[in-house]
Amino acid sequence: MPDLPGKKVGIVSCSGEELPEGTVTRLAALMLLEQLRPADTVTICLPLFLAGGEGDRAFARFYPTIAIDGCDKRCAARGTEMYSGQPAASIIVSDLVASHGLDKLEGSRHLNEAGHLAVEATAAQAAGLVDELLHKHWNRTAGAVEENLAFEAQEPIQATCSCGSGVPVQEVYINGEAVTLIALPTIFQQFHDSGKPASENTTRELIETVKVYNPISPDQENAYAETLARDYAAFCAQQETLK
Amino acid sequence: MTSPTQKVMIVPCSGIGKAYGTVSREAAYAVTEDLRPTKTRLVPLALLVLGDEDSRTDIASYPVITIDGCKLACAAKMVRQSGGTVVKEFAVLDGYRRHKDLKPQGIAELNEGGQKLAGVLAEEVTVVVDGIMSRNHGGENA
Repeated sequence: MPDLPGKKVGIVSCSGEELPEGTVTRLAALMLLEQLRPADTVTICLPLFLAGGEGDRAFARFYPTIAIDGCDKRCAARGTEMYSGQPAASIIVSDLVASHGLDKLEGSRHLNEAGHLAVEATAAQAAGLVDELLHKHWNRTAGAVEENLAFEAQEPIQATCSCGSGVPVQEVYINGEAVTLIALPTIFQQFHDSGKPASENTTRELIETVKVYNPISPDQENAYAETLARDYAAFCAQQETLK
Repeated sequence: MTSPTQKVMIVPCSGIGKAYGTVSREAAYAVTEDLRPTKTRLVPLALLVLGDEDSRTDIASYPVITIDGCKLACAAKMVRQSGGTVVKEFAVLDGYRRHKDLKPQGIAELNEGGQKLAGVLAEEVTVVVDGIMSRNHGGENA
């Protein structure tokens, strides 16, 4: 497998600046990213799904995500679903405040005591969800959790800044139609670095690897194979000219 | 855009990965809560991402000042994509380049340098807000 970002859970908070609950989402996300599960989580700013590139929009297709919303508008969950992929889990702070019997939250800029308690409760719930998700298998092709599969051990890595979390993507043409393939630049690079020549065997390997990160229906495999063979040969030729 | 201008919309980036995002948010709070509370309103980016009708109407009806943390300029891009007019774009990174002594650190809690940088940016934003209001109301401020 290519050396893509390790298995982590993506955290998307609504960050809503106008409500104390929005501030709770932001601070809870930070607590999770910096203190509770720094090696297991990565974040992205919600607006980057629109303002960023394809790599940013691929975020929730690549990582199982937890959406942390302040209110029932559910901007983080709905925004992630609309522009990136279905969140694997969701927390709504206003519901959590009610279920924990906390006092009214006040101060979007400076939280009151109830707000700080809500931050801790939200972060703790999110940490539990992270642990659950990491013990399940996230099928990147289906964009869903698969049960009953073995846990893949992961190396601890520092939490990634939101702007650096884009997944590499590349546009290719399948039967004349533009298709964006997640992770293709990294896959090509790693195949080339491993000394794999542009050949029929390599194309078969490429297809299998690309399918891990992208949905390819059986009836389209030949078209993908043709495109990948051609583009990988071009990639190898380009690499040779750089030597 | 309506005339005369009654409010200026302030849109900070909602970044949580860098201290610059926190500075942008703190500067926006300083303008909308402390410096010009009656003349400005903070619009959260998350609502624009979702296409919230009230927020879209506000940014389409009033002049908008954006405060972005980094060069990705999510706030400015989102406002334009949502049909708003950005009168002035501020970038925290540019502000820091002008005030190298105010290095922002800390995301959940800004250090003193970050707080001061937010204050400097807030003052700069206020000057622009006052300019907009002066043009529309013949010099009335605050």
